[in-house]
Amino acid sequence: MPLGTLDRDPPPFFRQGPSALSKLAVCSALALFFMVADARFKVMQPLRVGLAAVLYPAQWLAMRPVLLAQGAAQYFSLLSSAQEAQVQAQMKRSELSQRANQVEQLSIENERLRKLLGLRDRLEANASSAQVIYDVADPFTRKVVIDKGLANQVVLGSPVLDEFGVLGQVTRVYPLVSEVTLITDRDQAIPVLNTRTGARGVAFGDMTTHADALELRFMAANADVVAGDLLTTSGIDGIYPPGLAVARVEKVERRVDAVFARIYCTPLAMVSGAAHVMVLEPLSTKIPDRPEPTPTPVPLKKGAQKS
Amino acid sequence: MIMRRGQQLLLPANPVFIWGSLIGALLLNMVQNMGLWGRAAWTPDVMVVVLVFWTVHQPLRVSIGAAFLFGLLMDVHQGGLLGQHALAYTVLSFLAITIHRRLLWFTVPSQAAQVFPLFLVAHAIELILRMLGGGSFPGLGILVAPFAEAALWPIASIILLVPQRRAPNPDENRPL
Repeated sequence: MPLGTLDRDPPPFFRQGPSALSKLAVCSALALFFMVADARFKVMQPLRVGLAAVLYPAQWLAMRPVLLAQGAAQYFSLLSSAQEAQVQAQMKRSELSQRANQVEQLSIENERLRKLLGLRDRLEANASSAQVIYDVADPFTRKVVIDKGLANQVVLGSPVLDEFGVLGQVTRVYPLVSEVTLITDRDQAIPVLNTRTGARGVAFGDMTTHADALELRFMAANADVVAGDLLTTSGIDGIYPPGLAVARVEKVERRVDAVFARIYCTPLAMVSGAAHVMVLEPLSTKIPDRPEPTPTPVPLKKGAQKS
Repeated sequence: MIMRRGQQLLLPANPVFIWGSLIGALLLNMVQNMGLWGRAAWTPDVMVVVLVFWTVHQPLRVSIGAAFLFGLLMDVHQGGLLGQHALAYTVLSFLAITIHRRLLWFTVPSQAAQVFPLFLVAHAIELILRMLGGGSFPGLGILVAPFAEAALWPIASIILLVPQRRAPNPDENRPL
């Protein structure tokens, strides 16, 4: 009987169940097994999806007060701020209009030139829009959750963009939502191209300098990179379409003793405040299969009969 | 029955309220994440406080198995390593069981001081597991979380004992 409580039924005298120590051992072993299976063998996704389906009503319920508060905050926002936002959006649209109008002509020209040269057509990625619902609570990673999942044909590995550039990649798909790993996550790498020089490289998430940053790794200490260079996706990875803006170089550190330069970049996408995003279909589904490798002739053994 | 002097004799706990409060703590954690602070490391884990509270007060109903299950649910919600919270909550619940006979002899503020190391251990387990798994350090804000949870202990011990502190024979003068 718990201390100081008027319980009607006395505690069981003989059938007390397994001891606390044995329960601790079993549960810890199970937890360790789950962790190894999840981190090393990546086989826990079915259990995760099942538990997520159980948890979804609770998450839906917890979202209600949040959405209510956000709606109320929008209701009370000032007219002036709304007008300001509209003016900014119009300015941005007029800035983009010139480029947008040229795109038609350029894409026709590009298509004809490619036909002329006998090149393959550029791959077009299908896009669908989604909304960021919340940041994933895990403080050890940089992830967000979007409101499209398996039910909306989101594919694992899809690139995710916002209006300024590449935001990240879908790394887990649940029935109704998906998890997007941001490009600033430490384990996330994105192949990029320096638009000024055409040099390709790989940018990794980096949180050592400040909260949301990228590092362009493995560039030689004398590589031609200066602060302010624009990095776009290179398109050679088979996932991201080429030419999407990723980051801008912020600072280049060249040390005498290091083989590689340390290049810090700031992402162009709003990694900490994106609300509306686009989910592209990964290009890997459209890339033609790799040709069968021609069988290398087996060298004849010494003494074998030549036919 | 041997009791601390001046302690009120409590009514039996309602299992529906116990499990409801655990689910409520889960929801509160989700609201903290989804609406209030996003992925801050310093946010107090309400689930931890409620789990330790019920493990100490009702060890026959809420114990290591429940802690493991709620840990798994937290893992799925957070999207981190599956099993990280489950292990932390399991160890926490075991430690809570080892101190549950002693703890209730103390006043509520000194109870908070005694459960603080438990919260510290739970966060340390998570931190160590993630650092071993190659996560990035979330910042020193993570040190605030156990203090915030210990500060929630007195509040939890008021709110969660309210149904048990009602009068055993309610009348018109004392309806609750």
